[in-house]
Amino acid sequence: MSENDTFKIHFLPNDKIVEIEKGNTVLDAAHKSNIYINSICGGDGICGKCRVILSSGKIDAPATKLLSSEEAEKDYILACEARVTSDLQILIPKETRLEGKKILFDQNEQHSLTWNAILNKAQFKHDSLVKKVFLKLEPPTMDDNVADHERLCQAIMMKEGVDLNIMQTGYRILKQLPEVLRQNDWAVTVTLGHRGRTLEVVEVQPGDTSQRNYGIAVDVGTTTVVASLLELESSKVIDSEAIYNTQMKFGEDYIQRIIYVIQNEALDEMQRTIVSDINNLISTLVKRNDINLDDVTSIVCAGNTTMIHFMLGLDPENIRREPYLPAANFIPPIRAAQVGIDINRRGLLYALPSVAAYVGADITSGATAIRLDKEEMPSLFIDIGTNGEVVLGNKEWMVCCSASAGPAFEGSGVRHGMRAAKGAIEIINISKDYDVNYSTIGNIPPRGICGSGLLDCIAEMLRSGIIDRSGKFQKGIETDRLRKKEDEFEFVLVEKEETGIDSEIVITQADISNLVRSKGAIYAAVSILIESMSLSINDIHCVYLAGGFGNYLNVRNAITIGMLPDMPTSRIKFVGNTSLTGAKMALLSEEAFETVQKIASQMTYFDLMGNPKYMEEFMSANFLPHTNLEEFPSVQKELSSQNT
Amino acid sequence: MQIANVVDKWTGAVKEVTIGATKDQGGTREKTVTVGGAKSIPFMDFDGDQGKRIVIAMDVYDIPPEDWPESLLKNYEDVVNDPASWAKKCAEEYGADLICLKLDGIHPDKGNKSADDAVNTVKSVLEAVNIPLIIWGCENNERDNEVMPKVSQAAAGERCLLGGATQDNYKTITAVCLADGHNLITQAPVDINIGKQVNILVTDLGFPLDRIVMFQTTGALGYGIEYCYSIHERGRIAALSGDNQMAVPVICDVGHEAWRAKEAKATDSEAPQWGSFAERGIMWEAITAVSLIQSGVDIIRMYHPKAVSITKEHIDKLT
Repeated sequence: MSENDTFKIHFLPNDKIVEIEKGNTVLDAAHKSNIYINSICGGDGICGKCRVILSSGKIDAPATKLLSSEEAEKDYILACEARVTSDLQILIPKETRLEGKKILFDQNEQHSLTWNAILNKAQFKHDSLVKKVFLKLEPPTMDDNVADHERLCQAIMMKEGVDLNIMQTGYRILKQLPEVLRQNDWAVTVTLGHRGRTLEVVEVQPGDTSQRNYGIAVDVGTTTVVASLLELESSKVIDSEAIYNTQMKFGEDYIQRIIYVIQNEALDEMQRTIVSDINNLISTLVKRNDINLDDVTSIVCAGNTTMIHFMLGLDPENIRREPYLPAANFIPPIRAAQVGIDINRRGLLYALPSVAAYVGADITSGATAIRLDKEEMPSLFIDIGTNGEVVLGNKEWMVCCSASAGPAFEGSGVRHGMRAAKGAIEIINISKDYDVNYSTIGNIPPRGICGSGLLDCIAEMLRSGIIDRSGKFQKGIETDRLRKKEDEFEFVLVEKEETGIDSEIVITQADISNLVRSKGAIYAAVSILIESMSLSINDIHCVYLAGGFGNYLNVRNAITIGMLPDMPTSRIKFVGNTSLTGAKMALLSEEAFETVQKIASQMTYFDLMGNPKYMEEFMSANFLPHTNLEEFPSVQKELSSQNT
Repeated sequence: MQIANVVDKWTGAVKEVTIGATKDQGGTREKTVTVGGAKSIPFMDFDGDQGKRIVIAMDVYDIPPEDWPESLLKNYEDVVNDPASWAKKCAEEYGADLICLKLDGIHPDKGNKSADDAVNTVKSVLEAVNIPLIIWGCENNERDNEVMPKVSQAAAGERCLLGGATQDNYKTITAVCLADGHNLITQAPVDINIGKQVNILVTDLGFPLDRIVMFQTTGALGYGIEYCYSIHERGRIAALSGDNQMAVPVICDVGHEAWRAKEAKATDSEAPQWGSFAERGIMWEAITAVSLIQSGVDIIRMYHPKAVSITKEHIDKLT
């Protein structure tokens, strides 16, 4: 290849230079160098999120309507459409970058607390999946001439009360066993791991190391990956950390990523990406807490079916094809090292089970965390992530479905939507004179709006008459905040001077439509599940709402917009990231781990797309709060008292 | 042995809406027309009260209609340029219960007539006939919002039925109907949810439910009549089952839709195998109408006098 066919792309502010062949796009170059550029559609030129500024050089790009004339004048281009034809300098503007947005994980989480109380409340016995047991073996004599391995097993049997015939020891352990046992005068620490029906002797170390046993719980989300480090013996949560899933460069939703994998034969690349995210989290956690990686003996992962497939390198192709089959729902414990996860090289990886292609381990883990299997009366578990899943059930039965709600309440597909990170508006109040009061996470100038803020925003705009029940802006109200820009109406929530970004923060007509559709999909899924069990809203004892909305969620507003059924707010609980909670419980308690398996095997999956009533329900739910007002008597009362 | 009749019990009832106002009531009409009131499904009089009889509104346009086939046009040849005479003919010769004055001429593409022109037309029609009026805009939001308030004001006190309020454009027309004491048509695109939603939106503005007539957009025989039929039917069953927001009378637009069909328009030479051109359009309109009367409608808009008389006769037989 001649020199003229390769060009240098200089990315700012990262200050990275990438060489790439002529004809590739700027987005390709960014991928190549691991620079994150926002892209929802994964490079199809549809979403317009990958806007960057061309500071110098020449590109070849088709005309696009996704950039305003104002932006085109400022040399904005779409990274996915711009084909490289010379050396370039590219400036990635704030809104297109990820950096600086530290993700919020459960801020209510108080570290250094033991989880004994939480486990007790959930009625799980503290008995880690992988534990270390200190043993002082009787030294052998001529009278007591049991072989080394059997001596060890008998001691384990005595101490742990387990059957001999379920124990299994690997070749590598046997090979070192005689030496290790004698090294510290028959005092050893064995690491025992549950592997299905057998108990594996994972490791044997000389002396007493039983206090140094750590585990990692991970929620592998489509958008964010969150990990917690736990001290298994004390059940203490030591630290947590979260990052964005780097796979986002291949598309923001997982279907896009499956397509990317198929089109580019990139399963390895996809797996490496997520494993490297997980490894980065683990390495940050162990370094920050001065822990030896070898003492991390287990990792439990929850996440949607596709994410688990990517992590394990399983073929995801059939997930998106009829009849939508995962490679596996139940994954046997394997060595973490087999998929490239860096913990103790013999440490075990437990991937929690899925129910179906679109109801994954995040849901089975969540249902376990809230102990849906202990409820006497039918209760609802709603997890609003990138998709939105609903489970209805009690201790006797469970049904579930995926609502295809889309990621609007995670901030995607909303002009100034963002995840619950610092600077996100999490609470909004709008007065009768259309004045907006808000507060942000971290009390810094606002950079966008997160799920709870968006929910407040819709409810408050409805109450103050800025929008009507179909979500349309009421042109003619007396405020400058409602304006028309580039053919679309928008409402200014925060003026430019007050924000932490280079523009106002607005909510557009399209944003509202997206959010209303999203809440409509959730409510429709709830209705279908309730109806399919011949129940009514009044039969529902409790609603558990999970998801990455933020720290706080105004449950009343969720009812006002018709996302949740009209019921006393005291019966609705906002439970945060239950996927991670369930993973932590499983890590600490074999009983919890078994419960996840049991819940997964008992949950019945309802395919909403195949349900003729779903579309009907969805259309009725695309209204505020709902076309059937009688399903929302308290909202009806609230709104009519405001009108008069 | 006597076998007892099986009777369906319904809990709800369609509200009654009165169109037109007599002198005593502040208008100038000789008589008013009340529609709605059904307490059971159409013509099942053994189940319950049928409410008011289905009425026929004959269409009058403010501009001469384009592409009406000759078999239809010949009934109005002498009056197409004068809405007042046209209305008079429908009322006095053809037995219309109501006149539906359609203001197509204000549409930017169909003449862009001024609001004053529209007001004059309305006034002349009101003067020419003594039966109540339906006045319908041109379905261009901008023009309707400009013209309909003036038309409404000009007809204030007459308790007309004005249309239509859509999901995207309902505020202006609702406000003027409320102010000038008219009834209101809420309109939806063959969608039961949107139909109900528009009713909610206008009642949110304080418009009383008992002055609303719903329009679900009509499909003629062979052109989606089954969709339209089942939407009417579902709406009526919802109303009778106690859904208050659906418990309003329904109007359908048979004339315009039936005469758009190629079966109504194709001449003998174009379609010799389809039977007589002179009869075909009439039958197309009449069959559309007599089918829809069973789906749960209260007002039918029609074109051809012969089709009107066939439909009326049919209603007589069923009642």
